[in-house]
Amino acid sequence: MKKYMIIYRECAKISLSRMTAYRLDFVLSMIITLAGNVMFPLITVLIYNSGASFPGWSFYEVLLIQSVFTLSGGLSSMMLGGVLWTTMDHIREGSFEIVLLKPVNPLFFLIASNFEPESFGLLVGGGVLFGIAVSQTGIVSFAAFLQFLMLFAAGFAVMAGISLIMAATSFKWVGNSRIPEIFDSIKTFGKYPVTIFPKAVKSAATFLIPVSMIGFYPASALLGRLIPGTLLAMIPCVLFLLFGIWLYHYMIKLYEGVGG
Amino acid sequence: MSIINVENLTKTYVTYKRGSGFRETVKSFFKREQVLINAVENISFHIEEGEICGILGPNGAGKSTTVKMLCGALYPTSGSIDVMGYSPTAERTKYVNEIGAVFGQRSQLIWDIPPIDSFHMNKAIYGISDGDFRERLHELTELFEVTEIMQKPTRVLSLGERMKCEFIMAMLHRPKIVFLDEPTIGLDVIAKTKIRDFIKQVNQNGTTFILTTHDLEDVKQLARHVVIINHGSKVFDNTLHNLQSNLGEKKIVELTLKEPCADSILENVKVIGRKSPLELTLEIDMSDIAIGDFIENLSRMLSFSDISVKELPMEEIITQIYSEDSDAGKKQTKVLHGNNLYS
Repeated sequence: MKKYMIIYRECAKISLSRMTAYRLDFVLSMIITLAGNVMFPLITVLIYNSGASFPGWSFYEVLLIQSVFTLSGGLSSMMLGGVLWTTMDHIREGSFEIVLLKPVNPLFFLIASNFEPESFGLLVGGGVLFGIAVSQTGIVSFAAFLQFLMLFAAGFAVMAGISLIMAATSFKWVGNSRIPEIFDSIKTFGKYPVTIFPKAVKSAATFLIPVSMIGFYPASALLGRLIPGTLLAMIPCVLFLLFGIWLYHYMIKLYEGVGG
Repeated sequence: MSIINVENLTKTYVTYKRGSGFRETVKSFFKREQVLINAVENISFHIEEGEICGILGPNGAGKSTTVKMLCGALYPTSGSIDVMGYSPTAERTKYVNEIGAVFGQRSQLIWDIPPIDSFHMNKAIYGISDGDFRERLHELTELFEVTEIMQKPTRVLSLGERMKCEFIMAMLHRPKIVFLDEPTIGLDVIAKTKIRDFIKQVNQNGTTFILTTHDLEDVKQLARHVVIINHGSKVFDNTLHNLQSNLGEKKIVELTLKEPCADSILENVKVIGRKSPLELTLEIDMSDIAIGDFIENLSRMLSFSDISVKELPMEEIITQIYSEDSDAGKKQTKVLHGNNLYS
């Protein structure tokens, strides 16, 4: 365990050195990533200013959901964002053997060596929105905050699972840069209060591809509006992550030619 | 006891036939014909500890596939590989801790940052202690004289400087076996010499090298043991010396004549080149005639001002082996086994 922590630390330092080798590029990337993702809450502002709303949810409650989604997205992007593109590049160029030559788990090595510090801007932006939303929605109890942390972790597991599934598919669909588009459109459901959806969509977004755990359920915990049975919804999130990890390793085995 | 034992190694791929032209392409979109590729077929060889073994073969012969299986990056279809008691694919993480690799066409260094930072990353990955790392880095950087250049970003280094750093990256953890895939490709003469000297020096300390190359000078300078693979099969497995004498005892004789000679005089001599009317290149087979007798006969027939006798170029030896193997089909026709490998 200690060895893996040391490896992660060294690789993260390398990633930071790599990103800051081109200083202007790093700063611009942070700003663009932040601007692109903060645009969405601005649309919520426009919707509510026009008199429309999401039934049963105030503006700041919806902002809280979207800020939690942005925070989760920022963290996942920072830690796992590079795995898809690096995997695709290695498969396309036939250089995945370089990864397999390292005496560590290949998935761990790719995650560690693709730490993306430029997504830190997203965390900052999400944090600012979170602060604004929480300041308007009332004081949060310690129990509610603990529930929030647990559900936020489950939401992160969903984001991680999605990233790993996308990266795993790139072994087969070599050079397909459209994969992230499919998953981005699915993730969009997680930016809204799940109660506005029909029952079938709500169930799918909670138990099948549990994107509602990314923003909605953790925010609901903070607001003291947790639906009974939500903690059970953490189980599919963990299973989703485990599936993503399994699928990636399975694709490596196929790449290595197991079974000829 | 051999450090690498490969027995009946086979690797088969399934690929798909696309055909050429618009009609075939559209047809293959709906129905593709499977094609079985025998990339490596029933190869066996053994490499002793401390050897430098050259693996040769034309493009597409199966060399890289064989080396990937030896590195643990590819599962064999059948057969077995034992390297230092490990099965490379079954115990990959433990096994690769003991080997190193340098790929001439794939870099392990991180492009945007100095090589020294990549070395630190490998230090963490291989669990090298601080003291060991400092000592080893000092030893390798002194050998290659790269103390200053390893502080510059990899992208600004010349190819020769980058390859030296690749070698350091591969050898920091003191691997017992190092796989070299085209390590001198694209390098100038001085850089090649430096790399070869480095390999010889490290080999003296007992490190085994497996060298895949198309540069026959690499093989001549470094390898004692040569394995040639063609069409997925092994066609040669013996010493370099036996490779050079594989095609009989042929020699090249370069003559500078004092005056042009009539073609009829050269009827019974194999002329393989003529740079000018006075400069001839001949090929003789010493199994037919001793070199002394040949020169004596020649001096009776011709008047020459200069003569030089050379070995048959390696390129010609290898080309003949490749083409003989092609003529005989996939199976080897000339396999010299290693009973007297070092005699």
